[in-house]
Amino acid sequence: MKQRGLSGKVLMGNEAMAWGIVEGGATVAASYPGTPASEIMETVFRIKREHNLNIYTEWSVNEKVAFEVALTNSYLGRRAAVMMKQMGLNVALDSLMSSAYTGVKGGFVLIAADDPGPYSSQTEQDSRYLATFAKIPVFDPSCPQEAKEMVKRAFELSEEYEIPVMVRPTSWVCHSRQGVGLNKIGERDEIPSFKKDPQRWAATPRFRYRLHRELNKKIREISSRNHPDPVSNPGGAELAVVASGVPYAYAYDVIKATGLEERVALYKVDLPYPLGPEVDELIQIYPQTLILEETYPVIELQIGCRENARGRIDLTIPSEGELTPDIVAHVFDTLLGEGVSETRTPPEEGRKPSLCPGCPHRAAFWALRKALPQGIYPSDIGCYTLGLNLRAVDTCLCMGASVNQAAGLYHSFKQGGRSIPPIVATIGDSTFFHAGIPGLINAVHQGACFVLLILDNGTVAMTGGQPTPAENSPGKRIEIEEVVKGCGVDFIRTVDPYDIPLLIQLLKEANRYARDEEKGVAVIIARHPCLIYGARDEDRREGEIVVGEECDLCGLCTERFECPALRTGPQEGPMIIKTLCTNCGFCVFVCPQEAIKRT
Amino acid sequence: MDLKIVIAGLGGEGIIFMTRVLVEGLYRCGQPVISTETHGMAMRGGSVISQIKVGDYRSPLIRYREADLLVVTAVEEAQRTLPYLKEGGIIFKNTPQRGAHCIDASGIALRIGNPRGGNLVLLGYVLAHLAPAISLEPFLEVTEELTPERFLTGNLKALQEGWQKASQANKGEDKGEGDQAARDN
Ligand code: SF4
Ligand code: SF4
Repeated sequence: MKQRGLSGKVLMGNEAMAWGIVEGGATVAASYPGTPASEIMETVFRIKREHNLNIYTEWSVNEKVAFEVALTNSYLGRRAAVMMKQMGLNVALDSLMSSAYTGVKGGFVLIAADDPGPYSSQTEQDSRYLATFAKIPVFDPSCPQEAKEMVKRAFELSEEYEIPVMVRPTSWVCHSRQGVGLNKIGERDEIPSFKKDPQRWAATPRFRYRLHRELNKKIREISSRNHPDPVSNPGGAELAVVASGVPYAYAYDVIKATGLEERVALYKVDLPYPLGPEVDELIQIYPQTLILEETYPVIELQIGCRENARGRIDLTIPSEGELTPDIVAHVFDTLLGEGVSETRTPPEEGRKPSLCPGCPHRAAFWALRKALPQGIYPSDIGCYTLGLNLRAVDTCLCMGASVNQAAGLYHSFKQGGRSIPPIVATIGDSTFFHAGIPGLINAVHQGACFVLLILDNGTVAMTGGQPTPAENSPGKRIEIEEVVKGCGVDFIRTVDPYDIPLLIQLLKEANRYARDEEKGVAVIIARHPCLIYGARDEDRREGEIVVGEECDLCGLCTERFECPALRTGPQEGPMIIKTLCTNCGFCVFVCPQEAIKRT
Repeated sequence: MDLKIVIAGLGGEGIIFMTRVLVEGLYRCGQPVISTETHGMAMRGGSVISQIKVGDYRSPLIRYREADLLVVTAVEEAQRTLPYLKEGGIIFKNTPQRGAHCIDASGIALRIGNPRGGNLVLLGYVLAHLAPAISLEPFLEVTEELTPERFLTGNLKALQEGWQKASQANKGEDKGEGDQAARDN
């Protein structure tokens, strides 16, 4: 193992975990972007570039693919890491469940980043549940420095027991910044070697039973070695707190700020599953024990006798929403009989997000509403979910669902003998590659008829502009048109959504093909680069956009079209904010009074 | 130093950049610091906040009514985020209006030819209130490292303008409240 020296610096939690991966000596890392996990892989790419590191890296097409590519390196006796957001783990769950049985060779670390709140997800599910479901150990870091160390400990544990190990950070670890000590990059030189062992790597159901027994044995052993860390243990404490992850940090800060050091004992759990027997013993010692964890009761559910335990199960802690220092302080007061401290009023809801000024999706959604106002619009996951604000998004279930829900709408209306409304599904380019393709094949094969509008901006914009198989990647370019054709679609048109009139015309044509003539799925690819991550010079248009006298204050451009560069001015009329306006000119098209003009 | 700072504004304005300069600069001044910021969906023009804690802290989150400083980059967010500010805390605003701790950061940025540099003007202004516990140099250094070549002069200038603006104001008017902010220990 060659080693190189480095010093400390301020890192975001995600960057710190990337350092954990390279210091831990991974030779393969794969990921699919998703908030709050995206910057882990981005940082691995950066370290690789800056330090000329020998590591295989890829942005995979989805999380299941990333998981399996990385896992295989571990089968070959070398270390590997895979990173994703919590909902991505749902996509990779099949692989996770089975790999827990087969086990691994080289250290294999799965980072699943959770989003309590949620801030940028469809659920606030707790990935640690899936660790218990799959029967693999899970680390729960409380800050960036610890997250980095836990990634390295996870490699060790994984290798020792030949088991996949999860590290589960939450948003406030991923996106925290802190001074982090850097160690040597661990470049490992194990030669990839595949030792054939069909009873393990290709086990049939009969051998799976045996693998399950081995898995249970590993988990029992790891559990017996898992001890909570007594951070502070004053004699005669009235309350013990057993905490993991970020809630541990809240507890630490609140105890200190409110001077409870003498009254509260604090225990920290690094590995919430499999929990050791000690927590059960602790609970017998103290008058009451509070379990603090994010987001579901994972530690709590493993406790044998919960009579003196307080937490989420007995509703001491709310069952939904993220835990905050305020909730922790409030619960301390209640449990210590301090009378309830003043409630602190939280800020009101803030401004909701919206598509960027000049975003090609805004043009596409506007065209959609104009062309087929009576339609039903199933949609998908990405920046374009914000098409909600333009009332052009009716459903948003999970990655790739738009296509299947469009097919579902068609079949249900048809079966129910009702007239079928225009059905237009919208899906982003990356989401299409991720999970849209099987759905499209199925829809075409089963004879569903609807319009599929692929919003192709050449990048994964929501998560910071990562590449797609079609764009911005050094790999072989996969053309969306070719894929769509390969799925059996006969109606394929490509258009620049900046040309709103043409897009309107094409949408009507596509709807005639799919709905009126029931000929199948019609696909329109609306292609224009994301203005943030793919801006081109030719998109700078001449002239300035101004609002003229003709404006009758109808509010259409500010409220319905809601471009952030158009705000309501002091006299209630629209006002163009010059620093934000991209000069795209959509509003010129939108204004019914023709009051907005390009000079 | 023991200090809790909340920065509030709207996504897409470069609040993350401002937070990075602040946090890395404080770290280079030898201060223990932990911070956090909004990513993801809200960054598309929605309300975003960053929280920064200097001192012996484990978590980056600031309780309501505990922030020593509230720094508001988009003035429409000021009223809403006020619950973070503790009694006697200071609110810094980017606004053309006059008032205590108000600075027309966007106006200054436009004037010096760096229209997107308003946040750095504001940051420079806030930092001056923490002197002499800190100096501007480490923050200039971090800005230099993080800024792409073509914006470099503009960004350094923005930070300096804000800092100087505060120093001028302090010389002119009575300087009292500002010192509270930097409780050195
Ligand atoms: S980041 Fe790109 S895709 Fe997302 S809203 Fe902005 S312009 Fe549109
Ligand atoms: S031209 Fe109109 S629609 Fe385009 S960014 Fe400017 S104000 Fe918004």
